[in-house]
Amino acid sequence: MSKIEPGALAVAPPPTTVRRVPLLVVGACALTLCAALSLAMGSRPVPMSVVADALFGDAVGRDALVVTGLRLPRTVLGLAVGAALGVAGAVAQGITRNPLASPTTLGINAGAGFAVVVAIFALHLTRPAEYVWFAFAGAAAAALFAQALARRGGDLDPVRLALGGTVLQLVLLSWTSAVMLASRRTLDEARFWLAGSLAERQLDVLWPVLPTLVVGLVLALAISPALNALALGDDAAQSLGVPVARIRLAGGIAVILLAGSAVAAAGPIAFIGLAAPHLVRPLLGADHRLLVPGCLIAGPLLLLAADVLGRVVIRPSELEVGIVSAFLGAPLLALLARKVAR
Amino acid sequence: MTGTVKATKTAPTAPVRRAGASRARQRRRSALFGGGAVVLLLALATVSLTVGELPMTPYVALRALVGAGDEGDVFVVQEFLAPRLTAAVVAGAGLGVAGSLLQRLFRNPLASPDVMGITGGASFGAVSMLAVGASQALIPLGALGGGLLAALLLGVFAWRSGLDVTRMVLVGLAVQAGLAAAVNFMVVRFPAELAGSALQWTTGSLYGRTWTEVWAVAGAVVLALAVAFTLHRRLAVLDLGDDSAGGLGLNTSAARLQLLVTAIVLASLAAAISGPVGFVALAVPHVVRFLAGPPTPGTLALCGLAGAVLLLASDLIVQHVLPVEGLPVGVVTATLGAPWLLVLMIRQSKAVNRSSL
Repeated sequence: MSKIEPGALAVAPPPTTVRRVPLLVVGACALTLCAALSLAMGSRPVPMSVVADALFGDAVGRDALVVTGLRLPRTVLGLAVGAALGVAGAVAQGITRNPLASPTTLGINAGAGFAVVVAIFALHLTRPAEYVWFAFAGAAAAALFAQALARRGGDLDPVRLALGGTVLQLVLLSWTSAVMLASRRTLDEARFWLAGSLAERQLDVLWPVLPTLVVGLVLALAISPALNALALGDDAAQSLGVPVARIRLAGGIAVILLAGSAVAAAGPIAFIGLAAPHLVRPLLGADHRLLVPGCLIAGPLLLLAADVLGRVVIRPSELEVGIVSAFLGAPLLALLARKVAR
Repeated sequence: MTGTVKATKTAPTAPVRRAGASRARQRRRSALFGGGAVVLLLALATVSLTVGELPMTPYVALRALVGAGDEGDVFVVQEFLAPRLTAAVVAGAGLGVAGSLLQRLFRNPLASPDVMGITGGASFGAVSMLAVGASQALIPLGALGGGLLAALLLGVFAWRSGLDVTRMVLVGLAVQAGLAAAVNFMVVRFPAELAGSALQWTTGSLYGRTWTEVWAVAGAVVLALAVAFTLHRRLAVLDLGDDSAGGLGLNTSAARLQLLVTAIVLASLAAAISGPVGFVALAVPHVVRFLAGPPTPGTLALCGLAGAVLLLASDLIVQHVLPVEGLPVGVVTATLGAPWLLVLMIRQSKAVNRSSL
């Protein structure tokens, strides 16, 4: 039962450098468009001119208030969370060399979910802003435990990391279910948070985790060249002079910081960390120096597109972004998979 | 123990005599493990018949099972305890074997029905039945149908003039994510009490199984298990890699499809009778491999046995140990199984772990 190397996913002929930079630019443009749509669309559509006025001018009135007071925080949150999840996914798959790995399989979402459910059960919390610290602490504790399980001789064993993390995730998920089944009130309160949503959140959920998020991003970008060497296998990387153990530990920490911040701010959104790298790889190739920035764009793009769509489809109510992103991303991933491996 | 595993793994390069000795040692170990699992299963089965609302001695319970003794005892054992016991054993065995097939088929230690869409499909089917307000009896059918729907989606998207492993893994992920999102969607929109029963079902539960369901599923599982064993030779050839397998004259895509369908049918049947119980299919193949070494036809049987033991033990804990009434069995399987798996994983030596997974 050997595992599949991520490199094997890019069987398609490597895209030329000429194609890659414009692709990044196109991605950035699409992201800007999505952000603009996210400001304009919703249960109360606002014309683009009013959006621009509200942001840069001195527009007053209800529309402007909706844009600056509700949608701007939500869009900023979506950008930050999406970027964190996308990059965390790319790094997680890089350090474990397993295409099934994601922040979720390292136990991060399950840890956050369990901590929040216990907090709701024991402390009677009711607002997402109150969950932030519990979620981050739970995520970090679970991920650190998973990494402790995988540690050997100062290094993280990639197979153990993936398997141990998945086992931990299943244990925590079952405990979460047990708490929710034992207490109706907890179930009713927690199921909305557990679906993963950006709705009705202000920037007060983002500020506490912003420092960890930025540190995680910097760390992930810094180690991205070394992840290429890691993809060749530990021995090859070692002989290339890459400090394998240190890189993998740094990657593990980056994933914890990024995904922990994301789940604390928006709840467990599972699919983006998993899918973003798979969506970017056929376009930009398996080179982590491009893959990580690519995921930095693809993650928020996916998240914001899903959020906008979720607001539009069943107006005036809305769908949770965690649900829409999986609905939207799943067919995309399936279609890409058809193209990837011939 | 670590040393013996090493010897087993290095057997091909070792001198012939040592290779033979290590094979014999492995066979002995498999037999020991298998014997232990059978004894444990029988012991747990006896316990599950004797403890309950009205405790019985093992002698009375076993007599009641074959229809002799006090009429009340016979009724309780035959109508309440035995179907649940059978359901746990059948579902556990099905999940264990399905997990083993999937992990070798996908060449990925994380592959299991939970990841590859079958759990999502079964949950989707069951929760849809709840959503349209169908009767309780239809929910297992919904779970079975959902599992097969997931399989159909997997097949449609992953088949492109052949089944490629990488593509199957990605498509499986996509199917699982989409169906899980659909379940989530319904759970979030349900009224609170319906959300509770949905969670109960999607966690996996053995409550209120009747003989009709149990017999139907057990028969189908036995059939599917037989198919799995007959297909084992092809699985062993596929383990060599696509090129070698093709070189040996095996139609890799066809063989993979047959095995995939078998695994999915097993997992869906298990989900129909117990709900999508997590962890068993993921963990059991690893535990068996850590204890009994590289795969042989016997490994599949061991996976079935170990799965049955894990699920039955979990169900006993849910019924008689936990303070809260009515929790589904799925909340215990992972807690009960995880320590074993983690200890075994950590005890493995580096070289073995890298090469065998």
